[in-house]
Amino acid sequence: MPTGYKEETGEWKPDAWLEITTSDEIHFTLARVEMGQGTYTGLTTLIAEELEVDPEAITPRFAPVAPEYRNPLYKLQLTGGSTSISTSWEPLRTAGASARQMLIMAAARVWNVDADKCTARQGRVFHPNGLDSVRYGQLVELASKEVIRGDVALKPASEWKYIGKQRGRLDARAKSTGTAVYGIDVELPGMVYTVVSRPSQHGGRVKAFNESEVRAMRGVLDVFEIERGVAIVADKYWRARKAQSALKVEWDNSDAFSLSTSEVFASYRKAADKDRGKSERSEGDYEGAVKKAGKVFEAEYSQPYLAHSTLEPMNATAWYKGDSIEVWAPTQAPDLGRIAAARVTDLSPSDVTIHTTFLGGGFGRRLTQDFIEEAAAVAYRVKKPVKLIWSREEDTQHDLYRPAMLHRMQASLEADQLTGWHHQIVGPQLLDWYVRNAAPAQYPWAPKFMYDTLGKVGLLAEGIATPKDMSAIEGAIEYPYNVENLDVRHTHTDPGVPVTFWRSVGYSHNGFAVETFMDELAHETGEDPYQFRRKLLKGQPRHLDVLDRAVRMAGWDTPVPEGRGRGIALFKSFGTFVAQVVEAGIENGTIKVYKVACAVDCGQVVNPRIVEDQIEGGIIFGLTAALYGEITFEGGQVQQSNFHDVQLMRQYERPEVTVDIVPSTESPTGVGEPGVPPVIPALGNALFALTGKRQRTLPLKADA
Amino acid sequence: MALSLTVNGEQRSLDVEGDTPLLWVLRDELGLKGTKFGCGVGLCGACTVHLNGQPVRSCSTPVEVAAGGEVTTIEGLAEDGQLHALQKAWIAEGVPQCGYCQSGQIMSAAHLLATNPAPARDDIVAAMTGNLCRCGTYSRIIAAVESVAGSSLAYDASVAGGEN
Repeated sequence: MPTGYKEETGEWKPDAWLEITTSDEIHFTLARVEMGQGTYTGLTTLIAEELEVDPEAITPRFAPVAPEYRNPLYKLQLTGGSTSISTSWEPLRTAGASARQMLIMAAARVWNVDADKCTARQGRVFHPNGLDSVRYGQLVELASKEVIRGDVALKPASEWKYIGKQRGRLDARAKSTGTAVYGIDVELPGMVYTVVSRPSQHGGRVKAFNESEVRAMRGVLDVFEIERGVAIVADKYWRARKAQSALKVEWDNSDAFSLSTSEVFASYRKAADKDRGKSERSEGDYEGAVKKAGKVFEAEYSQPYLAHSTLEPMNATAWYKGDSIEVWAPTQAPDLGRIAAARVTDLSPSDVTIHTTFLGGGFGRRLTQDFIEEAAAVAYRVKKPVKLIWSREEDTQHDLYRPAMLHRMQASLEADQLTGWHHQIVGPQLLDWYVRNAAPAQYPWAPKFMYDTLGKVGLLAEGIATPKDMSAIEGAIEYPYNVENLDVRHTHTDPGVPVTFWRSVGYSHNGFAVETFMDELAHETGEDPYQFRRKLLKGQPRHLDVLDRAVRMAGWDTPVPEGRGRGIALFKSFGTFVAQVVEAGIENGTIKVYKVACAVDCGQVVNPRIVEDQIEGGIIFGLTAALYGEITFEGGQVQQSNFHDVQLMRQYERPEVTVDIVPSTESPTGVGEPGVPPVIPALGNALFALTGKRQRTLPLKADA
Repeated sequence: MALSLTVNGEQRSLDVEGDTPLLWVLRDELGLKGTKFGCGVGLCGACTVHLNGQPVRSCSTPVEVAAGGEVTTIEGLAEDGQLHALQKAWIAEGVPQCGYCQSGQIMSAAHLLATNPAPARDDIVAAMTGNLCRCGTYSRIIAAVESVAGSSLAYDASVAGGEN
C-alpha cells in the first residue's frame, strides 16, 4: 500500500491502516473481516485509543488483498483461529501511536515548541499552553513529512479511554436498519444470476444433462458444465431456480464418496485397532503406569459431522472483464479467494480483485473459497456481472463439515489416584483439505500449473513450509492436569468427506472427550468432579481461577433443584481459559438447559460487552451441537437439508447465561471460539449427574 | 403478471411472475436489500416483513398473494427520519453480531409491540421464537425488546417512530 500525502485528494496515509484527510475524515483499513465476532469495533478501538480519537469518529473499510494485511500467524490474509485481537494488539496500537506522534511533531514545529510538551486528544493537538489547538486535518500534510526516530511509546493502561471500557458496536446501526451490505446484497449494473447443481455424492462428475429443455425456460441465458457441477444463468434469481427444478443431470459417481455414517465409524475403529497412532505428547511411562495400576478405566467417544449453517448462505458475485476479474464476497480469506478465481479463469492472482463485504456468519465455513471458485467460473463464461446464491439445502449438503471423530480414552487408577492418561484421537486432519488454495496463496507469484504441486508440497513439508496441522490434536495435547504419565496419539484416517474448520476446530471434539472422561474418572474414584479437577491443577493458577469462579457463580455447593443436574467442564482454547457449570434437566422428553455459569480469562479485555456476547454466542453454538448437531450420510449422500432437520437453538430454549470476565493485564487472547468447547461436556456431565447414565456419543439424547 | 404493491407507503407497479416469492421482488425488483434470504421455506425468519400489518415470511409468500397489499420492510420502519424505538434499542443494546437475522428479528418484535405494547417476558419469547440467530444474540434481543416494552416508547412504536 503506498503511504504518504496526496495533494489532489488531501489524504494522508501514514501506514497501511490509516488514512486521515484534510477535512478530518479518518478511515481505517480493517484487515480482519467482520462476521459477527466484532473486529469492526474491536480493532477500530485499538487504533482509536492511540490516535486519540473516539472510535465512532473512524470509518472502517474492508481491506483489499495485500501482503501488509496478512495474518502473521498463518502468513495468509485470513480471519480465523480467534486471533484478530491478539495479532493486532501491538501493530494497530503502534500504528495509531505513530500517526499521533507525527501529528504532534508537526504541530510542535509550527508552534516552535517542544513536541513532548504538546498533547493530543479528540482529534486535535494541543499547545503546551493548553488553550491553542489545531485539528488533525490541518496537520496532515505537515505530519506526512515528519520522521519518527526510534520506537514510539504506547499509552500506559492507566490512560486508556476506550480499551477495556468501550461497550457499543460500531456496526450496530447499519445492522439494525437493513443497510449493512452483505455478499448477498451486492448489486451491479446488468447483473445476472446463477445457481449450480452439484453432485449429491462428493466427487461425482457430470455425465449428461438435459441442456435444451432447460435452455428453453423463461429467463434462462445459459446452461453449462463447470468443474463443480452444472450452472444455470438467468436474468432473475427465481427464474434460475425454476429452471434448476427442470434440470436433470446424470452423474457419474464411480469415484464419488459412497459411505454411510456407520461405515465411517467402522473405518475409524478399524484404523484405530490397526494403528495406535502417531505420538503427539508423551510424558513419563504410560505403559508402566498401567502395569503398576490396580485399575484401568476405558471409554470410547464418538462425535458426528457438523454443518456450519451460517444464516447467510454461501454466495459470491463476479465480473470477468477480459484482463481482470472483480469478485464481491463474504469471505474469511480473500487471498485464497484470489487463487480460487485465478484457477478457473485465464487470469493470474494479481488480476483478481476481491471486495470483501460484511459476512452473515463465518464460523470457519468461509475460509474455503468454493463459492468464489463457482462464481468466477460462471463469470468467465458469461462475461457479465453474475451473482451466485446457494439455497439453504445446497448450503447444508455441500458444506465442508466439522469432521466426525472417534476418541479412545484410557486411564490408570492406582488407589483412586489418576496416574496415567491415554488419549487416542481417530480421524482426519483439516490441512489435507485446506492446502489446495492456501499453499498457492502463500506464493501468489507461482505459476498456476504449480498450484496442485504447492498444495502437496505444503502437506509433505508440514511443519516447515506450512505450520504443523494441529486440527485433530489441539486441546488434547495441552491436557492441563498434573498426571505423571501421559500418552496422546493421533491415528490419521480420512474417509473422504470434505471437512474444514468449524468454530473451535479440534478443541470442539477434544473438549468433549477430555472433559467427559475427567468426569467419568471423578465418578469412578468417588470424588466430586470439581474437587477432582481442582486437585490436579497445582501450578495452573489461571485454570484454577476460572474453575473456582464458575463454581461460585453456579452455587456448586448448594442443592440442585429437583429434577435437575449440574455438570462442570474446564477447557483452554486459543489461549483463553474457560470454565462452565451447566444446570440441565429433562422436561417432557426433551433436554432442557436452564443455566450456564461461565468464567473466562482472555487477558486484557478490549470491549467487555463483545467478550460477553462472544462467549454467550459460543455457548449457544456449542449447545446447538450438543443437542441437535448431526450431519449423516447414507450411501455418500447427506441426509439433512434445511432447518427442520438441521435444528438450531431457538429463543425459547435459551438458557440463562452469566459470564464472569477475569480482570487481567495479560496480553489479550481470542474470544470468538473458546466459549464453545466446554459447554458440550458440561451439559453431558449435568445429564449424567441427573440420570446416572453416561452418554459417549453426540448429539445427546433425552432418553439415553 | 402486472401487479401493484404498496411498499413502505409507496405504490409500486411490477411485472413479475406471480409465483415469485415476495422476498426476491423486494430485494431484486425494488432494491430493498435489508430483508434477507435464509432458508426459503419459512423456518428461520430472516425474511420477515409485514403484509397488511401481519408478519409474514416473504421467502415463501408468492408475490401474487401480496398483490394490492401494504408491505412494510426494515427500510420502512423509521418514520419522519426517526428510527423506530426498537431500532434505537437494538443499537443501544448492541444486539447484532453478524447481523444477518436482525432485520427479521426487528420486524417480528415490531409486530409484537404494535399489537401488545406491554408484553410479558413469555409473550416476547413466544413472539421471537420463529426467528433463528446463529450467533446467539437471543438474550440481547430480549433485553432490547424489554427496554422498549411497557415504556411510552412502545406506544409510540405502534403508531410512529418513537421520540428519542
